[in-house]
Order: sequence, then C-alpha cells, then structure tokens
Amino acid sequence: MKWALIGFVQLWFAILILAPAIALLRAAVEGGLGSFVRAVSAPEAVAAFRLTFGVTAIATVVNTVFGVAIAVVLVRHRFPGKAIVDGLVDLPFAVSPIIAGLMLVVLYGPGSPIGRRLAEWGVGVVYELPGLVLATTFVTLPFVVREVVPVLREFGVDQEEVARTLGAGRWTTFVRVTLPSIRWGLAYGVMLTISRSLGEFGALMVVSGNIIGRTQTATLYIHDEIESFEPRGAYAAGLALAAVSFILMIGMERVRARVEAAEHGD
Amino acid sequence: MERVPIRSAGGLLRVASLSYLGVMIVLPLSALAWGAFADGLGPFVRRISDPFARHALFLTAVTALIMAVINAVTGTLTAWVLVRYEFPGKGLMNALIDLPFAVPTVVTGVMLVALYGPTSVLGAILGEYGLGVIYEKPGIVLALLFVGYPFVIRSVQPVLLEMDRMEEEAAATLGADGWTTFRRVTLPTLRPAIVTGTALAFSRALGEFGSVVMVAGNRPLETKTAPMYIFGEIESGNQRGAAAVSTILLAASLLILIGLNILQRRKGENRDG
Amino acid sequence: MAVTTFPTGRSETKRWGIASILAASAIVLTAVGGSGCGAPTRGAEVDRLTIGAYSVLREALREGILPAFARHRAAATGREVVFEESYNASGALTRSIVSGFDADVALLSIETDMDQLARAGRVASDWRATPHGGMITRSLVVIGVRPGNPLAIADWSDLAEPGVDVLYPDPKTSGGARWNLFAIWGAGLLGSDRADEAAAESLMRGVQRRVVNMDASGRQSLASFARGIGDAAVTYENELRLRERRLGSAIESVVPRRTLLIEGPAAIVETSVAKHGNRELADDFLRFLHGEEGQAILSEFGFRPLGAPLPEGVFTLRDLDGAAAIQRRVFGDDGIWNRMFTDRTEAR
Repeated sequence: MKWALIGFVQLWFAILILAPAIALLRAAVEGGLGSFVRAVSAPEAVAAFRLTFGVTAIATVVNTVFGVAIAVVLVRHRFPGKAIVDGLVDLPFAVSPIIAGLMLVVLYGPGSPIGRRLAEWGVGVVYELPGLVLATTFVTLPFVVREVVPVLREFGVDQEEVARTLGAGRWTTFVRVTLPSIRWGLAYGVMLTISRSLGEFGALMVVSGNIIGRTQTATLYIHDEIESFEPRGAYAAGLALAAVSFILMIGMERVRARVEAAEHGD
Repeated sequence: MERVPIRSAGGLLRVASLSYLGVMIVLPLSALAWGAFADGLGPFVRRISDPFARHALFLTAVTALIMAVINAVTGTLTAWVLVRYEFPGKGLMNALIDLPFAVPTVVTGVMLVALYGPTSVLGAILGEYGLGVIYEKPGIVLALLFVGYPFVIRSVQPVLLEMDRMEEEAAATLGADGWTTFRRVTLPTLRPAIVTGTALAFSRALGEFGSVVMVAGNRPLETKTAPMYIFGEIESGNQRGAAAVSTILLAASLLILIGLNILQRRKGENRDG
Repeated sequence: MAVTTFPTGRSETKRWGIASILAASAIVLTAVGGSGCGAPTRGAEVDRLTIGAYSVLREALREGILPAFARHRAAATGREVVFEESYNASGALTRSIVSGFDADVALLSIETDMDQLARAGRVASDWRATPHGGMITRSLVVIGVRPGNPLAIADWSDLAEPGVDVLYPDPKTSGGARWNLFAIWGAGLLGSDRADEAAAESLMRGVQRRVVNMDASGRQSLASFARGIGDAAVTYENELRLRERRLGSAIESVVPRRTLLIEGPAAIVETSVAKHGNRELADDFLRFLHGEEGQAILSEFGFRPLGAPLPEGVFTLRDLDGAAAIQRRVFGDDGIWNRMFTDRTEAR
C-alpha cells in the first residue's frame, strides 16, 4: 500500500511537474550552450531582464518597508476597522493579474480624472515604467505582511516591554528587539515577493504596451519570442527566469528549515 | 503578569500604512467599481449576463473547482508521502514542489502544449480517441493543476510534520487499520490545512491567465475562461464590459478569502488586541 | 517562550534606514524618471522615433526598414535616429495608443483600427490622403497547409469539412483575424450568384466550427501552426513568404479561388509627435515607407507592391461595401460573429 501511494505521488509529480521542467530545460539548451548564451545575451533580452530586475527591486523594497509597517500596525495597534484593513491586504490574492492591470488602466489611463491630471503634469503611468512598478507592487503586496503577521503575533510583547522598561526608545526597540525576531518570516516574505515579481505577466500584458527597451519585461519578452521564427530565445529566457526564481526558492527552503528548527527548539 | 496596553499611538506609522493601502488597494478597487457601474446598474447587469461572459465565468468556476478537488486529494497524498515515507527521489521532489511558483506562467503554457498537445505522442493518441487535453477543457484543468500544485502540499506539510503521532499510534494499538486511522484520527487534524491550501489554489485558479491562455483554445462559449474573456474585451476596447465581469470574478475570489479568514479567526488564532 | 538575546542592532538599524530611504527615493524616481523617458539622453545629436506596429511587421521593420531609414536620415541630415518599438496584435496596439502609448507612427493591420485611432483623436481624420489611401502594405489571405496538402484543401469550403483542424487568431485581439473572417465572408458572399448572406454566414460558421485554437495575434497563430498544430492555418501570403526566406523551408499554401486583398495602413499619431516634437522625422518616415526604397524592402519581406493590378479572384473590402460596413456586419453588437456562437446548434 505504501509503495502504491509513493508510486502514484511520484507519477503525478512526474507528469505534472517534472516533465514540463525537463521539457523547458531541453528546449532552452537545444542547440548547445553557446546558443543558449547567445539567446540570453541578445540586446532585447538583456534590456528586458534589466527592466524586470529593476521593477522587482523597487516593488520588493517598497513592499518590505510598508509590509512590515502594516504588519506592526495590524498586530500591535488597536483601532476600529482592523478587520477591513486585514481584508484589504489580502485583496491582491483575490485579483486576477488581468484585472489588476485593468484597474490600473482605468485609474491612471487617459479616461480618468487622475490620469488626465497626471498627463497634464507630464507624468505617464500606463505604458511607462511607473505602471509596471505599480502593477508589480500591487500583486506582491500581501506577501511580506502575511508572513510577518503570524511571526509578530507569536513573538508577543513581553520582550518589547522589557526593552522599553530598560529605557529603549520605540525605534530602537523595533530595530533591536522586534526585527530580529521576525527576520525569518520577513526573509520568507521577501523571497516570495521577489519570486512573484519576476514572473508577473498578466497585469503587464494590460498595462505595459510592450515597448522594447522601455516597458518590455522579461516575461513580455518571452511572450514575444514565443511567436517569433526562432522561439529558442523564449525558452532560454524562460529557463533563466525560472532559474533565478528557483534558486530563491531553494533559499526559501533553507529559511523554512531554520524556522522549523527554531520552532522545534522552543 | 498583566499585559501592558500596547501602543495605540504611533500615529505616523498608522497613517503611513493606511495611506499606502489606500493608494495601492482602495483606489484601484474603486476605479474598477467605477468602471463597472459608471453607466448604471442596467448596463452592468446586461454586461454580466452576456452569454459569452456567463459562459466564461461558469467555465472558470467549474475548471477551478475540478482542479481544487483533484488538488486537495493529490496534494494531501503528496504531503503525506513526503513527510511519512522515505524513498528514492524524495529530496528532488521536495525541492521541486515549488517549481510552479518559479516558472513564469507564459512558459508553462508553451511547455504543456509541447508535451501534451496534438503534436506530442501522448496528445496524438488521446486525440484519436476524442480525449484531447490541450485546446480542450481538460487542458485548462491541467494548466491549473500545474500552477496550483504547491498550495495544498505546502499547507499540509507543516501540520503533518508537527503532528503528535501518539493518537495515531493509539488507534493502531486499538486495532484500527491504516485507512481508518487516517480517516478518523489524522484527517480531522489536517482538515483546516487542506481547506486553506485548496481555497488558496482555487482562488488563484479563478484568476489564472498566463498559462491557461496558451493551452485553452480560446474558443468563445467553449474554452474561453473569464480572465481570457476579460482580456479580449480590454483589447477590443470594451473596458466597461471588462470591468463589469472583473467585478464578478473579483467578488467571487474575495468571498473565498474572506471565508478563509473567518475560518481562521474562529479557530482562535486571532490573539492580538 | 524562550528569551532571545538582544542582537547587535547597529547593522540592522542601518539596513532599515537605508531601506526606507531607498523606498522613498524609489517612489519619487519612478514617478519622475519613468515619464521623462521620452527625453533624449545623449544630447542634441540623436532623433527619436517611437513606432507601434502590429506583430507581423516585426522582421520587416527591425531588419529592413528601420536600418535603411536610419541610413537615409544619416545621409540626409547627418543625425542618428534611435527607435523605440512596440510590436503587438493590432487590436492591442490600437487600444494602447488610444490609452496613451505615445507611438509617433502607428502601423496597423486593418483600416478600421486606424479609424478607431482617428475617432479617438490620435490620428488625423484625413489619414487616407496619401497615394494609396494611407496603406503601406499589401498581401493576400491564404491558407497554409501541411506538406503535400494531404487533405487536398483547395478552397474555403474545404476548411469546413469534418476532420480538418483549422487555426486562426482571435478577432478580439488581432486585426489579422478580422481579415481572415472578412475573407471568408466575402468569398461566401461573392461565391453565389447574388449576394447571399446566408451562404456567407454558413461558410463562416462551418469554418469556425473546425477551429482548434485562436491565438492572440496573427504571428502567434502561424507559430502554432509551424509547431505542428492543426491541418490548415488561415494566414497571410507575406508571412509565408517571409518564413520561407528566413528559414529556408516553405509552408505550403493554397490561394483560394476568391480571397481578400489585405491592405495595412500607417499614419502619424498627432498627439505623440506634438509631445515629442518630431513631426518632421515622422513625416519623413511615412514618406520613406511609401517610397521606392521602403516598398522594395517590404517586398523583400513578402509584401506585394502597392498599385499593381489585382490577380483574378482577389476582392477588396470596397467590394464588400467598405471596411466600416463589413466591420459592423460581422463584429457589431448584433453581428454575425457573436451570433455564430450563441446560435450554435451543432457541437464541434
């Protein structure tokens, strides 16, 4: 019975996950390592990756800072309507990326008062970099908050109280007591944010305009290349993107292992 | 020791956080609602009762549900096998569980078409018997199964790891076989985690676009899912219609997440003031 | 709960301080920098032209037209031209230009898209006032088949036969898809002695029933076909010619007895050139596209020369009461396209 279960689970895994992974690997390096390197170092590919990394960096930093702030407010503060705030934070999980893109186009596009005012000031959002950043920041907003909140709750206020009694100010308490205690949850949240940002596609299809070098991210580049005469560039770039995310995943696993080891140690 | 009241001041932090949420979440949400209802309730209802919209929403819900049910079972099984058994290849499998999070959805779709589509051996054989997967409804479920794969596993795994085996061992000594033990002792403990993971996968599936658009076939009233329909309406200039259908899809996903939140609250996990 | 030791917080403080400064500057920079992208960075020596073109024109522009035009400009003005390009399905491109994408020149796949830009005030309403009615490319709707044409496809009606798997793109996103459907409609209409709309509609339904997948753009559809999907792809002569030239291998094609002439328009996006101040450059580019050198390059990439006489059996949108009328008839709210699905009696 046990081996039947193992066999089934492995078969399922093989069909669903392993086969596509191997197919990607093969398609990307078909033609040799040289052609893979050439595909990934094509100017449009480089521009696309640079853009993706840039947008990811901004979205991650912003969501980390505000994510921790929101988590602290949710867990340590008392105010009416907290449940609503809680729900709002989770909203991006409920939104299809296509809808996220639509929201931004409606909000910041030329059809809205905000969009028109921004256009007057020469600030472009849709089809410009700010739109990409907003879309990516939106879809990754919940990750850090959701990972930090439970850890913050677990941690409890006792040590913060002690620190305060010893005369530490709020900021010092936060930095020297709170932050270290949430660091694994935070790290996990940050890694999830990065991984998700790298792969964002649907919202960018709506918001980006796919302008090569300006608003064409790695995922959009892949989408373009898939329909070209030589789709190898798409697979190479896809593999590269997946590899970056995947290495982060492995890092996440290490974090998870340490978190669990720490919990078991308590 | 009495708990010292926690900060209800720290105004700047709160203002900053709430403003951030206001700009990033509330504003776009309101824009969507405005876009959907700006022409009034009548046109809104007309747009969502459009046969194409209705079918797309229905198809999305059904495929997501099928995926969720399959995933609940296979995910739990996989988590069980990973935690309780040793076998060759376990390390590799565990490491690759999160692969769907790492692979860009646009690539997933192309790979699935290449592997299981009409040009593949398997796909061709299945096609002969009218059991085509890619470009038919099962293809949608397949893509959703890929992207949803990690959710239930990663939700159940930690619970299984932490579980106290004593009750299971007690049941065994009382003569219960493996399945009964699983059903009456283990499963109840796992149930919340399974529900959480499944609900998350379901919610994700409702909105999935990148992989589904490549494998579904995109045929109106047959294999066009709601996100694909919305995308088509956006691209053909029907922003209001897109916003209307988006509102419905969003509301459905939101209800699930709210339901999940309530469930978790009721379990007494809400311990802050 | 175990008491954690107090860490040396100095590095953490610094890290968070840096993080908040970064976050703040990131937000500011993004808002300012992103929108300032139109400004030339290398000073006054460089002219910029932003081009939005439908996906099929990718190679023709990137490898042919743009380098040649840059050379032409360098020879004429001594200045370098830097291009920004966006390739998309024609419908998506139209929508993005309407929504604010600041392409200076729009090259779309069908005149109804250009009319949409004109209605939105992006393009001048007299965009057709050039020698060829605003068009720069010419091609035919053809049917791509497998080597040896094993299913003996000769005409549109063969695509409606059971057992034939057909590919064409989604008209919601692809201008090219609309050409396909207009071609089928027109062939059905003109194929009977009097203009029998019922016959045309029946042909369209029959073919749509055989469609396996509707990709987002014309190029994507052909790419799927090339990857082995389907028995027949409704596609464009220029695409197949280009494919043959580039890859050395040809996709066999069939020109139906009656088929539609495809004409692709190009026009200046007034709002963008006003914003960028490069009207003269955009004008020159458009002239280049219409001119001898531009047309020669386009024919290298598979297009037919403008103004040449039409082959036997080729009809145009004008023969079908014009683009706007047929657009309404097929894709309007009560159009045939929507009806085709809702009135379906027979499953695939």
